[in-house]
Amino acid sequence: METQAVITMKSLCKFYEMGDQVVHALDSINLDFKLNDYAAIMGPSGSGKSTLMNIIGCLDTPTSGTYELNHQSVAEMDDDELARIRNREIGFVFQTFNLLPRLNCLRNVELPLIYAGVPPEERQERAREALIKVGLGDRITHKPAELSGGQIQRVAIARALINKPSIILADEPTGNLDTATSHDIMDIFGSLSEAGNTIILITHEEDIARYTRRVIRLRDGKIESDTRP
Amino acid sequence: MKTDYQQFHYETLESLKMAFYQIRANKIRSFLTALGVIIGIVAITMMGTAINGIDLGFEKSLAMLGYDVIYVQKSSWSTMGQWWRYRNRPDLKTNYASQINRIIANTPRSELLIAVPQMSTYQASAKYRERILEQVFSLGTTQEYLQTASGNLSAGRFFTAAESLSSEMVAVIGDDIATGLFPGEPALGKSIQLKNRKLRIIGIFKKQGKFLGLFSFDNQIIMPLGAFEKVYGKNMFITIRVKIKNQERVAEAKEELLGLMRRIRRLSPGNEEDFSINEQQAFKSQLDPIKNGIAIAGIFITGMSLFVGAIGIMNITFVSVKERTREIGLRKALGARRRTILLQFLIESIMICLIGGVIGLGTALAITLAIEKIVPDFPIQFSLNLVLASLVVSVTTGIISGLAPAVTASKLDPADSLRYE
Repeated sequence: METQAVITMKSLCKFYEMGDQVVHALDSINLDFKLNDYAAIMGPSGSGKSTLMNIIGCLDTPTSGTYELNHQSVAEMDDDELARIRNREIGFVFQTFNLLPRLNCLRNVELPLIYAGVPPEERQERAREALIKVGLGDRITHKPAELSGGQIQRVAIARALINKPSIILADEPTGNLDTATSHDIMDIFGSLSEAGNTIILITHEEDIARYTRRVIRLRDGKIESDTRP
Repeated sequence: MKTDYQQFHYETLESLKMAFYQIRANKIRSFLTALGVIIGIVAITMMGTAINGIDLGFEKSLAMLGYDVIYVQKSSWSTMGQWWRYRNRPDLKTNYASQINRIIANTPRSELLIAVPQMSTYQASAKYRERILEQVFSLGTTQEYLQTASGNLSAGRFFTAAESLSSEMVAVIGDDIATGLFPGEPALGKSIQLKNRKLRIIGIFKKQGKFLGLFSFDNQIIMPLGAFEKVYGKNMFITIRVKIKNQERVAEAKEELLGLMRRIRRLSPGNEEDFSINEQQAFKSQLDPIKNGIAIAGIFITGMSLFVGAIGIMNITFVSVKERTREIGLRKALGARRRTILLQFLIESIMICLIGGVIGLGTALAITLAIEKIVPDFPIQFSLNLVLASLVVSVTTGIISGLAPAVTASKLDPADSLRYE
């Protein structure tokens, strides 16, 4: 029995017009991600991995081709529908963490639930649980400035998990962390994967990619290789 | 849809909290931004307060005159400047009052109640021993005067019909005269000197205040007609005070009195009146253009300051949107919709304006209280409507100035915004 596909991309293209030149950021990408996939997307800068991440994360729509996320065709969605998909289906983890500095950990983590219309008590309960899950149960009322980089990224992971998304999409999650902390963070991703989450990482570090079970390499907007070591 | 409503509700609460954090984090900037609104609201409320005050002072003064009294006089109040029109009119006579009263008695459904004669001069001076008060309002009338005027006595009594008929040399004086001529001693029973005649004080009015802040009822000396003539002679300014039955029917009463006076004056139908019938409405019609002028000028000035304030807020909100591009991108990535972002920035600018409005109101209130303390007679009135109007204006300013930046923010591309440095 084949595992269920979470993401299906067929001949997906993204073109940008730069002056009178058309840049093929992504060129006829065919790619599937299955439930509980743990994949790394790699490639040099300009290879199209950021564009691919934006499209997977529904921050952008393809120029042509199809993109289905949980059997919903994303390509034709308008801004508000995309916002809903981002809210329900995708948990983002960024290289620069992107926590709101004025809010404490709990308020940062519960943010996606506000946009999902979850009542305050439930929001706080779930945010607290998520923070405990990433090992920050004792930092709930701390503000980002009072935390280390690794702790901040764990808050961001808790935020990504809070709405039980279909995929966790991490863009260079260890790019701003030292090696030891990077490995801590990757351990968290590992345990999340074991718990059944679907995780896609964007990275250019082979070290980090080694934690995953699948490595997709991009070059010039095309898939160069797709391996399961 | 319930969840949609719920979501909107939570988003709004979140936006309120964020706006609060944002303002608190940028106190000085927020204050400078709000300054435009503060100045605008101070201007609005001070103007409104002044207009309210004029109205209130006017109403108070009219109430002093009595709403239900109309006046037969030689000239009209509403065209007071045109003295040449009235110069050749024959003088009124005090006995018109009794003629009018006789006709009223014989008219079954008359709108009029009673006519009282009055002779007066503003140029009187009153003397007690070495003290002299100038510019006193001296008035001769009958015992029926009190039926056509407000004012209670604080001491003594008004003169009687007998005293009036026998031209007794008695006087009822206003509070300012009593305190001015008799500081620290009882005035009742003393004699004051008007010209070369002496009058015994039999009554003192309670303090009433000024009419339009100019003419004071506390500055008058009232005596029987005969006594007045003994002091000042016969050729003084005569008014017939006529009390009407129903103040809602002033026009009808005026019409009736007009016909009645024409009969007394024996005017044939073709002749123009050689007298005028005055009522307080005439004051009002003179005051209204002034009031409207103040209002229009005020609205213009206020509008300008609010406009400048609004531009300032718009500018700052644009800067704020620029500064927080990444935050907007992040919020969108986490599921914020366009309207959520729009709402957040709109609420922020509304909140700044509202805070500015409240500070402005407080400032205006403080200024009002200060003016009241320094110039107690200055008519000034703070009203709830004014408070509401200011708050509505603040919110409107917030919406107008916040809308363009908020729309810009809501349309930002999430992927670009997240990469914005």
